[in-house]
Amino acid sequence: MNRKAVRTLFICILIYLPLQYAVVGIVGYYDAEPWPAFVFPGFKSVHVYDDGFEIKRTVIDVETMHRQRSLDMSPQDFFPEIPLSQIPGFVRTHFSDDEAVQQISNDGRAWLQRRATEISGFSPNTMYIIELTEYYRQTEDGAVLDMAMETNRIRLQF
Amino acid sequence: MRFKKRFDNWIFNSFSVSVEGLALLRIFTSLFILLFLIPGMGMGHFGFLASLPNDFYAPSPGPLRIFDGFPPLAIFQLVHTILVISLFAMLAGYYTKWASVLTGISILILQGFIYSIGKVNHEIVVPLVPIIMAFSNWGYAYSVDSMRKKKIANPESWPLTLLALFVAFMMFTAGFPKILGGWLDPSTQATQGHLFNQFFIRERQALLAGWAVGFDNVIFWELLDWLTILFEIGFIVALFKASWFRLFVGFAVVFHFSTMMTLNIAFLPNFLAYAVFLNWENIYSTIRSQYVRFSGVTGIKSGKRAVLLFSGMVLLIFLPIKLLSAQNIALSQTDLMLHEFVLVTTAFLFVAIVGFKKMATAVLKKKKVR
Repeated sequence: MNRKAVRTLFICILIYLPLQYAVVGIVGYYDAEPWPAFVFPGFKSVHVYDDGFEIKRTVIDVETMHRQRSLDMSPQDFFPEIPLSQIPGFVRTHFSDDEAVQQISNDGRAWLQRRATEISGFSPNTMYIIELTEYYRQTEDGAVLDMAMETNRIRLQF
Repeated sequence: MRFKKRFDNWIFNSFSVSVEGLALLRIFTSLFILLFLIPGMGMGHFGFLASLPNDFYAPSPGPLRIFDGFPPLAIFQLVHTILVISLFAMLAGYYTKWASVLTGISILILQGFIYSIGKVNHEIVVPLVPIIMAFSNWGYAYSVDSMRKKKIANPESWPLTLLALFVAFMMFTAGFPKILGGWLDPSTQATQGHLFNQFFIRERQALLAGWAVGFDNVIFWELLDWLTILFEIGFIVALFKASWFRLFVGFAVVFHFSTMMTLNIAFLPNFLAYAVFLNWENIYSTIRSQYVRFSGVTGIKSGKRAVLLFSGMVLLIFLPIKLLSAQNIALSQTDLMLHEFVLVTTAFLFVAIVGFKKMATAVLKKKKVR
């Protein structure tokens, strides 16, 4: 590449990088994912108080009719093939909105049911995605769970 | 006119490179990607993606939107095979420029599909390094290309400036939302909050994580919040001078080491980009002079053998780490891999030794002046 081409390339990239970052701002305002490529994770703040902190957790519950048998598990237990770093984003994208969950196709439901059956060892017909906010208290012996509050529950019938 | 001169000076003269140094970097990069940074977690992971229903296909805005769902396993296997072949070509320096670009594109395709489940991991530097460095002429020495061609092109240093620009900008994008997200607010400690999140939710509880969770000192955690932002935003300023940038790369290694020890997150892909800014010419000269000293062989032969020695040493270090890591015999209580721990710790020790050496030299110089 000659000098002029290299200079032009640098100018284009110097313009492009802030532009794509502006898009991150717009996309990120409405939706946490997906991000444009040329950014590193920002990690928004987590709520930490003087004497404790709160953490949001997602639980997947699968159960048979009339809750004869049920099993609670973490998303990483339900999707062990997905790297841990991708689990929260995957759950947020596909399982945090009731409307989106209800639109999962029959194929998708059948796939989830097969997976739930494999993991639980029984044949569940319903799956719940439960969002919890857990409040921890700092003590001399470490952090102690004070309270867990259910903040959202989405039901998916297989 | 003056601005143009300064702009040109920044692009073309910020970093200095040599064909020999670039050859070592090419070999190191090829082996590093081949053994540790190929996207995905093997064929099982690709098989899982291929089995996912279309409902879970959520690609980022871009070319992958033309697909309705994940491709069949055979496509993953094909791209993976192309990637491995192009990496070997890059390692040997065979059609190096094309092999490097093809390596980057194959990684982009694999990463693109892996991240189409709705979560993008920020590992763009892995394809970026071979694509950008393809234009540095890193295949024109100690390569199949150099045996086939009579004329050796001059090495180009501007790709290093370009890579530095990408790294600095991406670091800035990591720091800026932290300011907006309240990291500078003294009433909340964000680093500590993330530690709790990683420890309790993601069960990343290895190394010093347990100790850090019990360490409840507001000033310490708030200081970490501020230092993190200063370091990430400061990368943009460091872009103006190569020595500053190298200093910030050193800070980055220390930063990633500390996050690995406490949050169990290694950010290994970033180390591929950081390695580009090592003084490879110096590494080449050291290995060559040591080889000459011990063997007595001089001339062109000593250069070739020094490169072979370097390649062998890298393989000798990387292969056992890779094999041990694959056994999953250590760090099984977290998703941090053994090779990540060993490589990040080694990089940290390297930076610490170089840092102490430089500081000692500076102190001695001052004393002499007095």
